[in-house]
Amino acid sequence: MGLVTLHTQALRASAVDPYLKLLHRGLRAARLNNAFPDRRRLQASLDALRRAMDHGLYEELYLDSRTGLPNMATLTRVLTDQEIAPESLKKMPSREELVAREHQAEVFAQLLQKYDYYTYVGDKALAPVDTHRTLLRRHIPEKGEAAFRIEMTKLDGSGVYMHLVIELSQVSSLWRRAMIDLDEDGETAAADEAFRTLVYRCAHLDAETIFVRLHGIEGVHVERVTRGVIGPVIFWLPTTDGTRYTMELTDPRLAQGFAVWRGAASGKLQSPQMLLTCASDFAAIDVREERSNDPLSPLLSTTLQDSERPRYQDIRTRYPFRVFKDRKFVATKGLKPLAKEIMQAAGTRNLVYDLR
Amino acid sequence: MPALPLSMRLLGHRDRWLFSAPKNRRKSLEFVSPFAPMSGSKVNLDVLNRDVAYSGEGISVKSLETDIRSEREVQDSKVGELKQLRDRNVNIQTAMADELKKLRKFSDYLNGTATKGGVWSGIKEVLSYIPGLSGLVLSQRSIEELLKQQYHVSARRVKDAAEYVDTLKQSEQELYEEINRINEKIVEMARNEREALNYVLELEKLQEQLKQEEQTLEAGSVEARDIQAQQDKVYAKLSEHSTNVQLYGSAEERYAMLKDNTRKLAETIRNLGQDIQQYTTAASIKLDMASAQIQAIGRAADASVVMLEMKKSLDVMTESMNVTTQFVSDTQVFFRSNLDTLLKELDTFDETTSQMLDENLKKSKEIEDARIAAAIQKAKAEQNEAAS
Repeated sequence: MGLVTLHTQALRASAVDPYLKLLHRGLRAARLNNAFPDRRRLQASLDALRRAMDHGLYEELYLDSRTGLPNMATLTRVLTDQEIAPESLKKMPSREELVAREHQAEVFAQLLQKYDYYTYVGDKALAPVDTHRTLLRRHIPEKGEAAFRIEMTKLDGSGVYMHLVIELSQVSSLWRRAMIDLDEDGETAAADEAFRTLVYRCAHLDAETIFVRLHGIEGVHVERVTRGVIGPVIFWLPTTDGTRYTMELTDPRLAQGFAVWRGAASGKLQSPQMLLTCASDFAAIDVREERSNDPLSPLLSTTLQDSERPRYQDIRTRYPFRVFKDRKFVATKGLKPLAKEIMQAAGTRNLVYDLR
Repeated sequence: MPALPLSMRLLGHRDRWLFSAPKNRRKSLEFVSPFAPMSGSKVNLDVLNRDVAYSGEGISVKSLETDIRSEREVQDSKVGELKQLRDRNVNIQTAMADELKKLRKFSDYLNGTATKGGVWSGIKEVLSYIPGLSGLVLSQRSIEELLKQQYHVSARRVKDAAEYVDTLKQSEQELYEEINRINEKIVEMARNEREALNYVLELEKLQEQLKQEEQTLEAGSVEARDIQAQQDKVYAKLSEHSTNVQLYGSAEERYAMLKDNTRKLAETIRNLGQDIQQYTTAASIKLDMASAQIQAIGRAADASVVMLEMKKSLDVMTESMNVTTQFVSDTQVFFRSNLDTLLKELDTFDETTSQMLDENLKKSKEIEDARIAAAIQKAKAEQNEAAS
């Protein structure tokens, strides 16, 4: 099936449930630590979506065809549903009344479905499209120094769902403009809008680039940049009407591997298949070994043109940090060979969890 | 006794309701009594003792008024809901107009048509319209983030508007259920009216027979007095059941009017619901389809401030908001042209029914007065006769 609009795949009817269930299970199986977006919130959004579809509130589920993840419209749906739920519930008859009248008319059956969905979604911590906070780690007033932790979760424009953590310290001075402000008691911190925007805009870059970009700001010392990225997700869903879902995978290794796999294996498989990839990317002064164990993302140093290499070396000398990249896979039995092929081609050894 | 036969008075001068009954119904009221002979009279008086099978809990002017009022309360509550929707509609329209103003201004500035001091100074001014961005410059805020927030606001507004549909569908359903209830009442009232009319005709016939028999008897004799006593009973019964004819007939018509108004209200609500569904579905599809573009353009704008593309993105959102605002605006017209007219009609209905009730009460009083006057007249006449 083709795309419904730019980078947008619509899942319909019988394909929705297996997709949501597999992704939900995949997130749990991936054993994501706090470098990644909160998987429970993402799972809560998936559960809410499943309920909304089951209850007939939506007919289609929109995914980003580049990453196979729910797109902005989809994640926003449940968030806005949650916002309007309290007011809507107030206006509805009681559940008992709706149950009693369920068979009297279609409208009451629909309202009952909506009532249950709104009640369910009401108090759930759902996945935000964007969220950002700045935390104070330590404050040494006599030195004018404070250390912060910036956390950002973002549905990135590339379609992946990511979490960025930056640990940095800032030395204030009278003439220098502070990027992060402390409150009067020196207990809480808030990032300056410009700095916040800088982080937001840079979030799609790898940890190494973010480290260099922020470390270059006067008075700022970056200690660690961590990026945890959920996606892309490859899936194959058997449908009774022969629908084939289009994916626009941006990574050529993944795209090619999936195309070959689909040609060879899909006809033989009866059950839905999914390959979830979760990447982590660290740039920090305390990383022991610089290495990329991510088969889809080599180190910047290995991809530079010769002309750029001297400038890069100079930067690296000035900023003594190391980079470590990794990626883990969660795969159903049918797609496990693809994960192995990708690792083999890149010469990496990655964790591959079973997705059952 | 009144000067005119009671049946004439009931059927001719004062009872408009009886005349409103269709001809075929009156035809069906022909009644043939078995007239079994009784002691002291050849006329069969069983009619006087038979129970008249009215359904329901009996009727009086007061109970009718109470019943109609309780039925009207359903209508009133739905009209109340519509009024609330109208108020809410105004609020949403105000909020949406505000959002649109921001989007349009932003779009105009990006287009370069509304800038005096160049694009950048214009954008600074526009950003001051966006909540939380007052006083910031463009470089201090991510366009991607800004567009995502605006997308969220637009999606929320469309959903707010779409929530009307449920309320309206529910109201419509409840009104149709109300129509069913009213129909049952109408049938019940019509049946009771027919029952009352049948009985009145039976009584009228009996009255006639008693009168004829009285003429064959010696005036003042025991038999004549007995016949007169029976005539009085017939008269009392006629009085009671002719009132019922009037009340049930009145109730039937009033319930029918109530049904017409309820149907109008239900149709108004259905049309409104359909319009809302159409508008909000269109707006929501636009937003669903635009989300990827909005995100992509926001991202591109952050990287290189791609003005033209960004404007397109804003235009998509503006268009979607436009659709919904158009709907909200049309709905206002709808409310004005339909709800207000409906309310007026309902008021007229109230006025007409209270006039009717007043007339009925007035007529009842006139009948009662005439009856009392006749009784007093007779009492005085008898007194005068005894004195002479």
